[in-house]
Amino acid sequence: MKTAVIKFPGTTCETDVLKALREARVESNIIGYKDFDPDKFDAVVIPGGFSFGDYLRAGSIAANTETMKNVKEMADEGKIVVGICNGFQILVESGLLKGALLPNLKMRFISKWVYVRIVRFDTAITKGLEKKVLRMPIAHAEGRYYLDNPEEAEKLAAFKYSDEGGNVKEEVNPNGSILNIAGISNEEGNVIGLMPHPERASFKLTDPYSQTDGLLLLRGLRK
Amino acid sequence: MTISLSSYELELIKKELKREPKEEELKVIDALWSEHCSYKSSKVFLRSLPSEGPNVVMGIEDWQDAGAVDIGDGYAIVMKVESHNHPSAIDPFNGAATGVGGIIRDIISKGARPIALLDMIRVGSLRHERNRWLLKGIISGIGFYGNSIGVPVIGGELSFDDSYTDNPLVDVACVGIVKKDKIVSSIVKKPGLKLVLAGLTGIDGLGGASFASRKLSGEDEIGAVQIADPFAGKIILDVTLEIADKVEAIKDLGGGGLAVAVTEMANGLGAVVNLDKVPLRVKGMRPEDIIISETQERMLYAVREESVEDVCKAFEYYEYPCSVIGEITEDPNIKFLYEGKEVVSLPSSLLLSPPIYVWNINENEGEKINEKPTVRIEDAIRSIVTSEELVNKEWAYSQFDYEVGTSTVIKPGEADSSLLLLPNGKFLAIKGDANPDLCNEDSYECGKEIFAEAYRNLATVGAKGIAAVDHLQFGDPKKPKVYAKFVNTIRGISEAAKFFNIPIVGGKVSFYNENSKGEEIKPTPLIVMAGITDKYFRPSIEEGLDIVLIGITRDEMRSSLFTKIFGKYGKLPKARLSEDLISSEILTQGIHEDKVTYAKDVSKGGLIGALWSIITKGYSVSISTEAINTAEDIYSKLFSENGGRFIVLTSDAQFFIKFAEKKGTIAKIIGKVSKGSEIYIDSNSYNLSKEIEVYNNYLEERL
Repeated sequence: MKTAVIKFPGTTCETDVLKALREARVESNIIGYKDFDPDKFDAVVIPGGFSFGDYLRAGSIAANTETMKNVKEMADEGKIVVGICNGFQILVESGLLKGALLPNLKMRFISKWVYVRIVRFDTAITKGLEKKVLRMPIAHAEGRYYLDNPEEAEKLAAFKYSDEGGNVKEEVNPNGSILNIAGISNEEGNVIGLMPHPERASFKLTDPYSQTDGLLLLRGLRK
Repeated sequence: MTISLSSYELELIKKELKREPKEEELKVIDALWSEHCSYKSSKVFLRSLPSEGPNVVMGIEDWQDAGAVDIGDGYAIVMKVESHNHPSAIDPFNGAATGVGGIIRDIISKGARPIALLDMIRVGSLRHERNRWLLKGIISGIGFYGNSIGVPVIGGELSFDDSYTDNPLVDVACVGIVKKDKIVSSIVKKPGLKLVLAGLTGIDGLGGASFASRKLSGEDEIGAVQIADPFAGKIILDVTLEIADKVEAIKDLGGGGLAVAVTEMANGLGAVVNLDKVPLRVKGMRPEDIIISETQERMLYAVREESVEDVCKAFEYYEYPCSVIGEITEDPNIKFLYEGKEVVSLPSSLLLSPPIYVWNINENEGEKINEKPTVRIEDAIRSIVTSEELVNKEWAYSQFDYEVGTSTVIKPGEADSSLLLLPNGKFLAIKGDANPDLCNEDSYECGKEIFAEAYRNLATVGAKGIAAVDHLQFGDPKKPKVYAKFVNTIRGISEAAKFFNIPIVGGKVSFYNENSKGEEIKPTPLIVMAGITDKYFRPSIEEGLDIVLIGITRDEMRSSLFTKIFGKYGKLPKARLSEDLISSEILTQGIHEDKVTYAKDVSKGGLIGALWSIITKGYSVSISTEAINTAEDIYSKLFSENGGRFIVLTSDAQFFIKFAEKKGTIAKIIGKVSKGSEIYIDSNSYNLSKEIEVYNNYLEERL
């Protein structure tokens, strides 16, 4: 699957994502936001960072670019769209995913390794995964997922903050997300957004637990 | 805006120019001759630091923004340290944030990709509300900039002393990586090159260099603080690295703005700058303000005529201002034109040759008080482990994105030094160290000790130091006692650098750090050292491991955390550099032969401070003080901070004991690790679960 890693001005994680995708043997390239041609790709990853400085609300300026109109068309065609961290914020701001990402309850940036439980196995990147609990780092100031309809949120949720054993409980919720949600998908399962960074959990050397849980997700783009 | 030139200097200028300088010219000279830019009170002594070495690719001669060191496989690292103390005292958020921005631009002006930031923060006690406000602003400012620009903050220090009330120290270091043959200069060697400026110039940061070179006045000085815009900084970063091989020289616009950047880049040649061509953030700026504004996120490039279009095109993609503002000339005068008129015309030689000062020196370091306090061991332990110095710093580093770049192997809080994976497969260790309490007592010993401590810290992750930068922070250099400490510090650092054979590839001096009562800060020199190892090692702790102490414990209590809390007494620790070297060799050898599970340098809090790092990770330790027979005093055994020592957790203690004998020092088993939260000292045991709670929650609760 030919995957575009889109770089907006202010994106910081594009080379990390590219490195991890290539580690997962996904054919991928970094594409500048003005140079993106949706017809040339089967999938898109929007990496983390501070697109357009995250001035206004995180992700809101990028969400209103021509680039995101193209991404939306791809999503409508059933192509895979993954947003990580700021990418998730952009997907939410542009309406490709429902809900909002509010400032963390502690009102500050949080960098931390967390456990994440997969709660939906029908999305493009969680399909067929046997491992239920993954360990990945978060690093964000606005990651508190919110949707005014909790039932719907429950349905959309793909990842939840949990403990090592996969128990979803309030004590391990790092940012105050509704229902401990760390990531969601659209109903079809082809548009996925998550706050944790799978690319940062894709290399044994830099993973403090010498695992590569993030690769399990990114490999979903290989098919 | 105040001008800091002295009447002596004004006379000198008139004599050189053979005329009265214009108002605009005075401001240019004031910036160039400021302590901040010219090092006029420190230059003589700084020259004694060893800056050369077989691996030094670019030293600190001339006006290079940063030095570079060969690390093999065709790569070099670039490193630099700076402070933003004065701006942070007034606006901690923007002061600290722009400190990060400035240091990153120094690295990219070498064509290097910044890969790691370190922050070393010193504030007064958090008991005071203003210090809490300062610290919160400083940490969020660093995070705001570092996170947004995508350079991981992988380590640092957070330290407290009331001498920093009113005048916090905000030191930021940055390391970059570049192909050795792609390093870009900050200076030009031939005339005719076009000067290209990227970024908008505004009215923030007027007279910043001059402001940083005098005492805080308490008046409204907010105008001298720059505004941080990391988004613009990220564009500068991305584009500069993209065009690095199309330009002849790159210079950051830091202290002194265009005036300094143009003059230093011309490096003795001349330049003509047309101020009408400078893109402005606000209309109607006066020409002299355009010249000295220190607005951030700007960069100056010297470009061959045929490459100008390529350079500006790269900025256009991001809709970022870029414009040709002038050129380098054969005629050795720096000229600024505005609306066709010459507002400044000054000889390069005058601007680049400020008077050099050597101030009075008074070596009298004060009386020594020698009354040994009586404190119960238990009380001493509980006080020391809960002091602000030793609390968990997660509150601070969790606000930094230390994973971006997917290269951070040893993360903040894991060891005495952070470790980063380099593109050539080797590992870079990096650490910054200061010891103001020791410097306040004996700055010469301190200069040596902080260098040795940085070296030891790198050894705890298996690395050997290869390059260092220094940052010297003091009060008013015209005070003879302050100046004596400054001179002695440099002597100590220089000796240690020569002993370890580690070149100092850059540095910075910051004077005039005083509180509102005119009392200077404790002298705070700082060493940031980089080391390399090809072996990867992640510290961990297991039950049943032996605790081995490498090195000699001495009855040298003065300047320790213990004496800071309970009263000064005893002898000063001497830096015995060969002991640091031997112990470090033993430890790194142990790491490379997989004999080490966990290692820690013995420093703040002495042996107890080192053991505390084990206890806070959920383990009990038991030790026998009899095994520490190189000191007599029980306080010394537990709390002395003399150098040359490590504790190691290992299942092969004999390796260290034998190796130490062979190398000329001692290593002994002093205890064991078990599950729990107790410390057993001989026949006594103290449960420290309450202290662990303080350790974990202190910063979170205070802030």
